[in-house]
Amino acid sequence: MATTTQTADVVVLGSGPAGYVCAIRLAQLGRKVTVVDRDEIGGVCLNRGCIPSKALIHAGTLYEKMSHASDIGIEVKGASVNMPKLIAWKETVVKKLTGGVAGLLKANGCTVIAGDARFTGPRSMEITQANGKAESGKITLNFNQCVIATGSRPSALPGFDVDNEKILDSTGALLLTEVPETLLCIGGGYIGLELGTFYSKVGSKVTVVEGMPGLLGGVDPALAQVVAKKLTARGVEVLTKTKIQGPAKITKKGVEVTYQPEAGKPVTKTFAAVLVTVGRRPNSDNLGLEKTGVRLDGKGFILVDPQRRTNVPHLFAIGDIAGQPLLAHKGSKEGIVAAEAIAGQKTVYDVIAMPAVIFTDPEIATVGLTEAEAKAKGFDIQVGNFPFAANGRALSVQESEGFVKMIGDAKSGRLLGVHIVGPEASNLISEAALALEMGARIEDLALTVHPHPTLPETLMEAAEATLGHAIHIFQRKPTAPGPAAHL
Amino acid sequence: MHLRLPELGEGVHEGELLNWKVKVGDIVTEDQPVCEIMTDKATVELPAPFHGKVTELLAKEGSVVKVGQEMLAYEPNAGAATGKEPKKSALANAPAPQASVPMSASPAAIPYAASSASGSGLAVAAAPSTRKFAREAGVDLSRIPGTGPAGRILREDIERVLGGGTGAVSGGTPSIAPMVLRQTPRTSITAGAPGSEERIPMRGLRKKIAEKMRQSKDHAAHFTYVEEADATALVQLRNQSKEVAAKYGIKITYLPFVMKAMCAALKKYPILNSSLDEEKQEIVVKKYVNIALSVQTEDGLMAPVIKDVPNKTILELAKEIQEIVERARSKKLTMDDLQGSTLTLTNAGSIGGVFATPVINYPEVAIVGFNKIARKPVVVNTNGREEIVIRDWTYFSISLDHRVIDGAIGAEYMKEMIRHIENPALLLLDTNGS
Repeated sequence: MATTTQTADVVVLGSGPAGYVCAIRLAQLGRKVTVVDRDEIGGVCLNRGCIPSKALIHAGTLYEKMSHASDIGIEVKGASVNMPKLIAWKETVVKKLTGGVAGLLKANGCTVIAGDARFTGPRSMEITQANGKAESGKITLNFNQCVIATGSRPSALPGFDVDNEKILDSTGALLLTEVPETLLCIGGGYIGLELGTFYSKVGSKVTVVEGMPGLLGGVDPALAQVVAKKLTARGVEVLTKTKIQGPAKITKKGVEVTYQPEAGKPVTKTFAAVLVTVGRRPNSDNLGLEKTGVRLDGKGFILVDPQRRTNVPHLFAIGDIAGQPLLAHKGSKEGIVAAEAIAGQKTVYDVIAMPAVIFTDPEIATVGLTEAEAKAKGFDIQVGNFPFAANGRALSVQESEGFVKMIGDAKSGRLLGVHIVGPEASNLISEAALALEMGARIEDLALTVHPHPTLPETLMEAAEATLGHAIHIFQRKPTAPGPAAHL
Repeated sequence: MHLRLPELGEGVHEGELLNWKVKVGDIVTEDQPVCEIMTDKATVELPAPFHGKVTELLAKEGSVVKVGQEMLAYEPNAGAATGKEPKKSALANAPAPQASVPMSASPAAIPYAASSASGSGLAVAAAPSTRKFAREAGVDLSRIPGTGPAGRILREDIERVLGGGTGAVSGGTPSIAPMVLRQTPRTSITAGAPGSEERIPMRGLRKKIAEKMRQSKDHAAHFTYVEEADATALVQLRNQSKEVAAKYGIKITYLPFVMKAMCAALKKYPILNSSLDEEKQEIVVKKYVNIALSVQTEDGLMAPVIKDVPNKTILELAKEIQEIVERARSKKLTMDDLQGSTLTLTNAGSIGGVFATPVINYPEVAIVGFNKIARKPVVVNTNGREEIVIRDWTYFSISLDHRVIDGAIGAEYMKEMIRHIENPALLLLDTNGS
């Protein structure tokens, strides 16, 4: 195989939401950028994560609504799910987006190389080009700077070898052309619950097994409770404090799995398919990073400073590979910071509020401190809740489950955190993120006019509730003395 | 995991947290300083006994922290091992080892992260665009008073600090007035206008100095006595000593000679080496002589102690003074360096002035002020004939606590001390100072 040597100014390794955003910003700042990715442009997010899963979830929700449309006088007969067609439609959504990103990279003058890269030194890498490309072979690429954005992949569970037919990881769960009759989700985190909910909506009998006492670790338990309740109501079996006893046994009927609830005897059951979502691990192995001197933490994430520079000054790391939280939008932000740092700008990752969204039913979205975190930090907190059941818009779209919870600092009146479980939570959270970045007080949210009838009114009302005088719920007396008294 | 405040020294139970050197999210390596703690005795840097990520700062800057108190929370880094040096073969092509570089932001490289507003735990109240503007202008937001609602820092607040007024940055084409050439008004600062005053928190050493000085003036009945001295012989002796001292790498000053003279006079008037136990109404006369030396540092006045002065040679004292001053200026004084003084020497002469009226280093009862030595014409009597000669002349001040030392005793002490200054050979005759 022929090896050619090429020179690049800045290499961005990985074209996910961190890498491609970084590449475009670098190009905007006048740098010559080479993007290297072994897979399709767009990374996990566009190809195997956020986007395709949201397309499926949308379809599942639509199907469920059609099934219940007769409740409001709309008779739908013969609705059914055509999985191959659904998967194909999902692919068109993905292609549209990845094609768009590829076009943007090209328009910005970025060179894209498809291939597997390994560092051979701190300023060089060897790229084995992807098969099926016209110019196959190896490229030795020398560069001035490199941004490592190689992301993460699903963690494996010993005894459960992913074949993406019967034992699935998050990638395989997006490719099934048949709805499994029964599905076991191992892990009650957000990925397992999002996909489990989809399969439940399109007809699977779903079981969720989680070792911890509650679902969605890290989320305010009151929010997770709403989701758990609706899962159970939908017929999903939710088993918390339950541990898997591996290994899985593949049989003709499916996968035989044994699990041990905290109390009681072990249970052995056969599922048509098993979805393993037990976390994600960084793609820092097999990169030749040892040739660069870049330091990793104990879990394999690359250690970075607030400009996302590694201990080797011309190497940067962004996105999942640079550590928690593993969120696409966090990676994109880091991509912009790293690009500006490379361009010599006085930039820094100074995010105050990193929102997170979970596409369960109902959705969850959070930003800022949780009640527990705020207490632990020693804040004298104010808390206000406002239920969607008291919001006109939520009722009129048949989505009245959930609530908005607001946490404030009683001393300064400053907003500390917003936690939403309910309809369109993912679309409601950005207002709260902006408020936190602006250093808003709870009053600011209460005093801002929110149009009627809309779901965001719940944020205004939750702010009022925090101050003790929400209009659409009855509050006996102010929850806390403070700025409210001076309004 | 939590880092607790460890023992800082004998008899030290608490200290003031001056500042954090890390922030939440920083990866800290073992022995990296995480904060500065000021105790009654010294300012010390607290090194991290772990490698890991800071998850929470539990103590506020400016607050008093007690030994054993939880200072910060961290996630220990199980994989400190991954930070190990690459194998030899891999090193061939690797850059110079950077492993010792802490991964937290170095202030020079990363200007002004969105730090929390001073000590409150709240994020800085400024819009993202304002933070960016400040960063690019090199303005540290934690030092700017915000004039917006709830103390929010506005872009205008930063512009004001930059001194440009709003027009300077907000853009727009300035119109050129016809006929009249208007002069840009100088940025005059009006009292009471926002940003016209800077409020510096009274913290750390500054706070300590204020407390000590107030305590001294509240207790001791100060009076100051000044006498002049002919330092000609001392200047000569010191000049002669320079060369010898240099051989040992020591830069010799007048201070060891003055200290020796102070000790010599104490032989006659030991009462000056005492303190007053107010509770028991007893004067505690010390049989040992430890002289504190006032040293001006970047952070403020410090008084490290030279121990057991009578039993040390001039050269030994010179070496110790040189080292302790260096430690004070480089903030490396130990608790021991700052404890146990019985008498204090302050040296204002290096800056200038005729004489000072020093404040007693309470609970001591005397402080000697060594002032500038200058060439002066003086009248001397040589063999019954008066003539004007040029001599090296100086003034010594001494502030005393009149509750313990009467004026006459203080004056006699000074006379005895100056006798040794004017005849430094006396110092050599008996280094134990009789």
